[in-house]
Amino acid sequence: MHAANPFRSGLETDRIPAPCVFVIFGASGDLSRRKLLPALYNLAVSRLLPPGMSIVGVSLREMGDEQYRATMHDAVAEFSRRKPIDEAVWDDFASRLFYESGKFEDPGTFARLRERLEQIDAASGTRGNRLYYLAVPPSTFAVINDNLAKAGLVAAPDDATRYTRIVVEKPFGRDLASANELNQSLHRVFDERQIFRIDHYLGKETVQNLVALRFGNAIFEPLWNRNHIDHVQITVAEDIGVEARGKFYEEAGATRDIVQNHLLQLLMVTAMEPPVAFKADEVRDEKVKVLRALKPIRGEDVARYTVRGQYGPGNFGGQPVLGYRQEANVSPASRVETFVAMKLEVDNWRFAGVPIYVRAGKRLAKRVTEISVHFKSVPHALLAQEGPLEPDVLVVRIQPDEGIGLRFVAKVPGPTMTLRPVTMDFRYGSTFGGSGPEAYERLILDAMLGDPTLFARADEVTAAWRFVTPILEGWARTPEVEPAAYAAGTWGPSAAFELLERDGRAWRRL
Amino acid sequence: MRLPLDAVERELARLWQEETRRSRAPRMELLTLVTLVSEERLLERAHEVVAAVAREYPSRTVVALCRPGAPPGITADVALHRASADGPARGDAITVEAIGAARDWLPENIERLALPDLPVCLWWVGDLPDHDRLFDRMLLGADRVVVNSCEMDLRDLEKLSNLVRGRHGCAFADLTWIRLRPLLDLVARFFDDESARALLPALRRIIIEFSPREGDTDAASTQAGLLFGWMAHALALPSEHAAWTRGEGWAEVRLGGVAGRFEARARADVAPGTIVRVTIECEGGRFEIERQEDPEVLRWSREVPGAPMPPHTVHVTSHDESTLLVRCLERPRRDALLEASLLTGSRIVRPVAPRPSAPPSGQGAP
Repeated sequence: MHAANPFRSGLETDRIPAPCVFVIFGASGDLSRRKLLPALYNLAVSRLLPPGMSIVGVSLREMGDEQYRATMHDAVAEFSRRKPIDEAVWDDFASRLFYESGKFEDPGTFARLRERLEQIDAASGTRGNRLYYLAVPPSTFAVINDNLAKAGLVAAPDDATRYTRIVVEKPFGRDLASANELNQSLHRVFDERQIFRIDHYLGKETVQNLVALRFGNAIFEPLWNRNHIDHVQITVAEDIGVEARGKFYEEAGATRDIVQNHLLQLLMVTAMEPPVAFKADEVRDEKVKVLRALKPIRGEDVARYTVRGQYGPGNFGGQPVLGYRQEANVSPASRVETFVAMKLEVDNWRFAGVPIYVRAGKRLAKRVTEISVHFKSVPHALLAQEGPLEPDVLVVRIQPDEGIGLRFVAKVPGPTMTLRPVTMDFRYGSTFGGSGPEAYERLILDAMLGDPTLFARADEVTAAWRFVTPILEGWARTPEVEPAAYAAGTWGPSAAFELLERDGRAWRRL
Repeated sequence: MRLPLDAVERELARLWQEETRRSRAPRMELLTLVTLVSEERLLERAHEVVAAVAREYPSRTVVALCRPGAPPGITADVALHRASADGPARGDAITVEAIGAARDWLPENIERLALPDLPVCLWWVGDLPDHDRLFDRMLLGADRVVVNSCEMDLRDLEKLSNLVRGRHGCAFADLTWIRLRPLLDLVARFFDDESARALLPALRRIIIEFSPREGDTDAASTQAGLLFGWMAHALALPSEHAAWTRGEGWAEVRLGGVAGRFEARARADVAPGTIVRVTIECEGGRFEIERQEDPEVLRWSREVPGAPMPPHTVHVTSHDESTLLVRCLERPRRDALLEASLLTGSRIVRPVAPRPSAPPSGQGAP
């Protein structure tokens, strides 16, 4: 018998996972319609799904397989990045798309699910491999996990004949205590190796390219430290308001929604040390060290190093827009922050003394996510004529128009030594053309392959909450202090500008 | 307007200055793509393909054509590639024309037009001449050479294999191989599980059906030969001294205990040489990939006792040449598997597709 597949030897095949059943809890919800099913369909079009791989949707809503297929066909037609639907691929894909309705609290749901999964194994060669995707609120995680275990639907982590993995969506808790509780609930049933906490920012090409930029080029890493970097700015700005998510946002706010996860992920990738290998635990070990090195912001420092804001009425694109308190499902007296800015410090050998200014918010002037590394000025102003020279800036744009830019100074042609900042731009779209896979496609494939490199580990989540929770508590201790108001369509409250101005710096113009 | 070669860079600089005023598009190029057009009738196609490549992959493209005539000389046309008719510039478009004996001067002159510090890719359009010093000399300045073996005869597999083995610094790529890759992956998928792999020692026959080129009498298309070469290499089948038998529309080769059968099955809706069906027969099991009525749709099915798996339908887009070329450019390294598959394939087909003997020294194509 051949030990390995001889046809795979030397084949630069795109990564193909072993056949499995992908079980989605919350299968009729928004996430499934907008992201999960389109991502799975696109993987099928790219021929990255293994033959026999099947999908079972589980949800409360009563419907049969055919109705579910029809609903998801419409969803894929609307939300897939590839249009129109390739009907030959869809027919094949849909023939292995099933639906099971039932309550998550009802053990009968899981008994039926087990029966369905065994039928699929027998017909499709999925061999007991399971990937559970919890596209449901965290409050239902525990009951689903427990019922999966009771129904015998969880394989041991060391079982070499089959695998069980579970993907969970953020929010991973709402503070340190609830995150710990959530982790404990997951660990009651699953081993950490089986848990994939998804943060779709890590699936974005540019975030991965930041790793390539830092560790694939020899010219940047020698400069990537306190000797050469003056400060770093990270912005995650959205131009939209809370829209239909008022209820969720009232519970979360910008800090829980963006800072604790996406923004700190960007910070970790920016500040981490080179891992010994680009492997899951090696990368995540280095990332979590960044969080551990973050100087805590507690007590009086909360008011000094953080700014909360909330958007009021304003205009966007020349049209009037509502203030946060006027949005649907938002309290008219709400004190939830829709904007946050912070001055952070990573207390380690590389970054000691380099401030990292971060800001995130809704209803800002533009939709833009970027990391900018501001280098120190030249040590001697040999060529300065009218004030100091503009320092060099390296910008990693994550969205929109993903790319990397470098600003430096150049001489203006002419008889005098006049210098002017110029930029060199690299843009993914114009350099490589076409659209790459969406973050969910990459991450779902990684989960099927059992590669957790781009997923958050329990200690990462805990460390993030350990940093953020004292800030939330600090704000909670002063309920009389309202978030600073800013007009919709602007770059946030004036206090956010003052946060940098008092250090003699300014936010980059975006 | 035709320019002398020493005016090319000046003219390009002028065009970019104009462009900067017009669109502020940055000048960015990732490589020099040199395209040697073996026949004038292929020139238009070459221009279309390199323009499409530059849209995806900003490049300096140099398309070179030789014409008979006198006096000998080389001139060039220059322009800028554009993302769209009115879009921003996407690279330099240089067309070089060599008249008569100036054909021999092309290698050093084209090398002078290559962008500094960036890779040079040489794309040979059309059939490979049997003995051509120009092609061999052009290879010396290239980091990567791209051909399309489906435009060649079966006997050219051996020339390609020799070429690959002789050029250690140059990565070789074949558009037909890129086109075959989804098929290789689908074949590999048959044997990803142990139950299927257990049948491999009992492999008896591999049948490859292909759509032949019109009037072609080769035992197989180059695509079929390359695919079989890969399978024989992967399975370590004895490729020396292959024993062939042939009949009307079919040919069969025996490699140890395994038979490879090639069957011509003409289909008007696919490119000549395309694989229409692959069947692998083992004692107790059968594996098949069949092109459906829609030529871009393949049906994958297998019968393995105790390991049922439903048939699978996949869409394999028939990419045009520019897309395939971009794929080649994205993989700049040498492809050891292609090289091994070519070597094995050329050995297997040698008895039915011998190379013509080389002319006496100095008698190659001018």
